[in-house]
Amino acid sequence: MQTEKFSALFGRSPALAQARRAAFVDGVRAFTPAAIATGAWALVTGVAMVRMGLHLAPALAMSATVFAGSAQLASLPLIAAGAPVWVILLTATIVNLRFVIFSAGLQPYFRHLSLPRRALLGYLTGDVSYLLVIRRFAAVARNAAERTEQVWFHVGLSAANWIVWQSMSVAGILLAHRIPPSWGMDFVGVLALITLVAPSLTDAPMIVGVLVASVVAVAANALPLKLSVLAAVLAGVAAAIALELARERRGAGP
Amino acid sequence: MSALALAAVIAGLTLVTVLTRSLFLLLGDQVTLPERIRHGLRYAPACALAALIAQQLVLSDGRLDLSILNPRLDAGLIALAVMLWSRSMLGAMSAGMLAFTLLRALM
Repeated sequence: MQTEKFSALFGRSPALAQARRAAFVDGVRAFTPAAIATGAWALVTGVAMVRMGLHLAPALAMSATVFAGSAQLASLPLIAAGAPVWVILLTATIVNLRFVIFSAGLQPYFRHLSLPRRALLGYLTGDVSYLLVIRRFAAVARNAAERTEQVWFHVGLSAANWIVWQSMSVAGILLAHRIPPSWGMDFVGVLALITLVAPSLTDAPMIVGVLVASVVAVAANALPLKLSVLAAVLAGVAAAIALELARERRGAGP
Repeated sequence: MSALALAAVIAGLTLVTVLTRSLFLLLGDQVTLPERIRHGLRYAPACALAALIAQQLVLSDGRLDLSILNPRLDAGLIALAVMLWSRSMLGAMSAGMLAFTLLRALM
């Protein structure tokens, strides 16, 4: 019965549909611990869109299609100030350049898929999805069964992430005028991000990378067009890799 | 900003999201990264989130505030400590929000 119902989504071959569904459910489960934090961040983004002067329809449209919290937050003050369109798009592009780095990390996992599917999976992969997927699959699949598992895990995780993000973002848009600014709701978004990063802080290269990225982000804050985030990611990753290399060299030595 | 310009901005931002998030996925096999770099990219999302967090905690209107009287910094560190210790997201966010509210009321 279940197989019948889901055949449109998971395919008609029973064995394949079974494997895909199992990986999809696994992906949804993997997202669950991050749901509260993602929802809080989306709520704050929804509230911010209305507070910064967007009306209902543009706010809903922006939430539904742009689907990138940090780029939305970076573009809102520029929209409010009536900045030229190209300045807004350039700023958002630079804020989003970290996703180009993520897409390089995802590329070997999805190279067997068609172009539209790769574009769709890429579009759906924000910070949290990438963090959770890469935490789960350190190595790229080597056979068809593993590829199915990785792709459908990603689809399940992305679907859960999309639903939570969109529903809480819409809630934020609708409730914006009922939440007094004095509550400091925007800070909930920051706390949510902290709870998402903390479980990654398990090994020395990661901790060093995160510390370096934090310092660079603050030190480079004066850079134009929000280049500071990109600078921080590059510096953090470089520091983590450097520490990995140093440890390997020490380990391989006499 | 006119409705038309706003529509153009939203359409443009959507395109920006699609292109940045799928750039290497679309280039496909034309680019291959060295294994060391590809492996190192797993550090990228945590670094990106840390960058966004750090700016929110210690900068106010572009000015650095590392003092113990900065409620955002204190509350953020408390939330981090609770999260590392208890692994409870709800606990960490509640503790952070409670600390933030109390510190702002006191200072």
